[in-house]
Amino acid sequence: MEKEKMIQELAKIVGKEDVLTSEMQIRLYEYDASLIRSKPDCIVLPGSTEEVSKVVKFAHDRKIPIIARGSGTNLSGGSVLTQGGIAMLFTRMNKILEIDTENQRVVVQPGVVTLDLKGVLAKHGYVYQPDPASEKVTTLGGNLGENSGGPHCLKYGVTSNHTLGAEVVLYDGTVVNTGGKSLDNPGFDLTGVLVGSEGTLGIVTKMILRIMPNQEAVKTMMAIFNSIDDGGSTVSAIIADGIIPATLEMMDNLTIKAVEEAYKVGFPLDAAAILIIELDGLKDGMERLSERVAELCKKNNVREIRIAQNQAERDKIWAGRKGAFGAVGRLRPNYLVTDGTVPRTKLPATLKKVFEISKKYNIPIANVFHAGDGNLHPLILFDERDKDELRRVHEAAMEIMKVCVDMGGTISGEHGIGVEKLEAMHFVFTAKDLLAMNRVKKAFDPDGIFNPGKVLPPQTQAA
Amino acid sequence: MSNTEQGVSALKGMVGETNVISDPDRLKAYSIDGLTPWAAVLPGSIEEVSRVVAFANERKLSITPRGNGTKMSWGALPRKVDLVLGMERVNRITDSDIDNLSLSVECGMPLSEMQGRLAREGKGYFIPLDPPFSSKATLGGVIATNATGPRRFSYGSARDQLLGLKVVSPNGDIVVAGGKCVKNVSGYDMTKLLIGSGGALGILCEITTRLLPLTEAAATLILPFKELEGAAKFIREIVHSKIFPAAMEVVNKAAMAGIHAESAGKAPYFVVFACENVVEAVERQITDLGASGRKAGAVDVTALKEDGHKAFWAALADFPLALRQRDPNSVGVKANVVLSKFADIVAAMEKEAKERGFDAACIAQAGNGIVQGYLSVGSGADAKAGAVADFFGKIVAEAVRYDGNCIVEAAPRAVKEKVNVWGQPRSDSIVMKRLKEKMDPADILNTGRIIA
Repeated sequence: MEKEKMIQELAKIVGKEDVLTSEMQIRLYEYDASLIRSKPDCIVLPGSTEEVSKVVKFAHDRKIPIIARGSGTNLSGGSVLTQGGIAMLFTRMNKILEIDTENQRVVVQPGVVTLDLKGVLAKHGYVYQPDPASEKVTTLGGNLGENSGGPHCLKYGVTSNHTLGAEVVLYDGTVVNTGGKSLDNPGFDLTGVLVGSEGTLGIVTKMILRIMPNQEAVKTMMAIFNSIDDGGSTVSAIIADGIIPATLEMMDNLTIKAVEEAYKVGFPLDAAAILIIELDGLKDGMERLSERVAELCKKNNVREIRIAQNQAERDKIWAGRKGAFGAVGRLRPNYLVTDGTVPRTKLPATLKKVFEISKKYNIPIANVFHAGDGNLHPLILFDERDKDELRRVHEAAMEIMKVCVDMGGTISGEHGIGVEKLEAMHFVFTAKDLLAMNRVKKAFDPDGIFNPGKVLPPQTQAA
Repeated sequence: MSNTEQGVSALKGMVGETNVISDPDRLKAYSIDGLTPWAAVLPGSIEEVSRVVAFANERKLSITPRGNGTKMSWGALPRKVDLVLGMERVNRITDSDIDNLSLSVECGMPLSEMQGRLAREGKGYFIPLDPPFSSKATLGGVIATNATGPRRFSYGSARDQLLGLKVVSPNGDIVVAGGKCVKNVSGYDMTKLLIGSGGALGILCEITTRLLPLTEAAATLILPFKELEGAAKFIREIVHSKIFPAAMEVVNKAAMAGIHAESAGKAPYFVVFACENVVEAVERQITDLGASGRKAGAVDVTALKEDGHKAFWAALADFPLALRQRDPNSVGVKANVVLSKFADIVAAMEKEAKERGFDAACIAQAGNGIVQGYLSVGSGADAKAGAVADFFGKIVAEAVRYDGNCIVEAAPRAVKEKVNVWGQPRSDSIVMKRLKEKMDPADILNTGRIIA
């Protein structure tokens, strides 16, 4: 279809000012937080479910690819329009529709920024648990698409555990509701399969989320280690001891240095590893539990344990952790982050392999990750203008994913497959496994208009 | 040889002579809503399951999977039952990684047997699931029906605990979903889709689940209330507090009589908490919940510890099992509503049952908005079917008012003939139908029984 005609038709649906077409605007939406670049044909900003439905119907009738985008922080190329088409932005659909504390639910539009929701909930004494590091900018719709995690997911689970229902626009523009405010609605768990489907099954226009009362007490500790091995072993020891802290985060020396230089949060520059351990719950017994954690740290040669004495100190520790990607980003022009996950018992062995890979390819790798979940985030640092380095980066990333799978883990814990990990899907899944997923794709999106070319490797999609 | 005889002989070739039951008398035990299969097949491995399913798919034979048979009354009336696939021999532990707090085990393993083994392992562990029929149900049956119990309040349900599944697809393919990592977004979350799918999308063969360490301390608190409203108000106070007990249930007198007879005479309604935590926190919970309960109007506070605590929750989970042993025609319904409206459903169940000459036993997961209602029907089930169907219709309407629904979990055939066991149809059933058609094009798995 001619581009001009498409723009005219879409303007009829959402209004002229909500179709963006200038070269500059197009270029703003050709990328996300991965290394993938590709231009959309046009950009639409629907203001209602009805408009989303009409745009999808339009795309369906003409077989035009369509991708729902939030803030574009995707780390695997999932929100880039690799086959062109319509980028659908949810900037206008950013309302918190209902805060139902009585039933411990909120109903939101997908364009709401994660941290904005939390800010509003805090006033009611409630919390929405998932806390991706980028929550300041990410949208809840994007969190749903990727099944985002975050530090507190160790105890509270990821986005899917807190997403109980959705309003969804299907491939032909039909609007249906899955799940709901109540649990266990009859039938298949469509909400469960939509979360983390990277926008390939439908477009979510409303979300029903679980909220919880705040915990009574929180204790945040920082354990400093002279060896990364000891840090990793401590994580395994805490989990094996049967303690499930609210968070168990780890940073290596390269990250610690970058964070300290950027934010001056008081991390010791010579530390090989820092663990951020947070306990929450009733105050009764917490002192004893934290002593038990300290004991396990000591058994694994901890150098120093610092306990946050107040909210300001706690915030400082977390500012260091949440700003880590940004801080590391200052070290080299680019970074590629993978997010392979391993069983918690395999953490020290996997880290060792990651350092070997860094050496082998002669590329610095910084590690900052959700250790308690076994979810690694090796940040591979490079300069994309150096073509040989770029090639080595991709090889190193593939090798790290392979290592994770060999350890009994998987290739992605929370960033998604997108485009970057398509080939690595074969490390984890057989042709039969992928075929089963493809049947799900076909049931939801028979013509393949939603985010084509993502999640499932091309061979599967052809099947 | 007839087709059936040929089929039996072929199946015997796949799973062994003694593992195919075709004797009509023995098969009666495998009948579903009055339909008897022509064979019950008991495979001994996932590979054997795969062969049997592929065989059935080629011949368009309907298969109904079965664990220990506690949920054979689940679902709509089958259109066809050719084979029952008994999974009890597919019951091996395939990966026990206690230090990673994960376990892979085949679906024929009874939940209670697994819990017993885990409790004896090291410091003691458990799978955080405590569904109805706990003492008898297999893991496969629990997961396929997404059965949940009281502790869901703090631990969530199977969708929060399962990390992966191995299933046999309707075409016989052995398919793996998820893995053993606690975070995993590699591809679609097929595990979620299969949990609660009633065996209609694949035969569940192996689960990988999270484990949790047994808590340091545990106790039960029983608080009788004269009025349902008072119990509900107290629940509301606790749900929104920071006290977070492991479970909070509201049980009516008819149910309490079967669970903890010595309490049943104290009042018509009971708020019951399970406290499971570190020692100090459990002490605090007992003190605080007891004190605020009395303030809220509880006429008594009874604390149970150790064996008393365990026995109480076992009896609560097995309430429907005991009821069914007394009355094979007993009816079970499950309503799901927004959590603040659970008491309205309890009240509706009691009222609508009473008006039709039944006594409803109600067990409500008060913090989750799930209400299980049980009616004892006894003899003359056919004559009473209309009344039971009317009762169900009323509860569905009430639950829909509160953003929920209600399903029949168990009922005599005569009742099922009169109702949609899945409650009020929903807008997303069009997607469910397409999924079923794509994944099971020959419609062999649990034909007609599951929602789509």
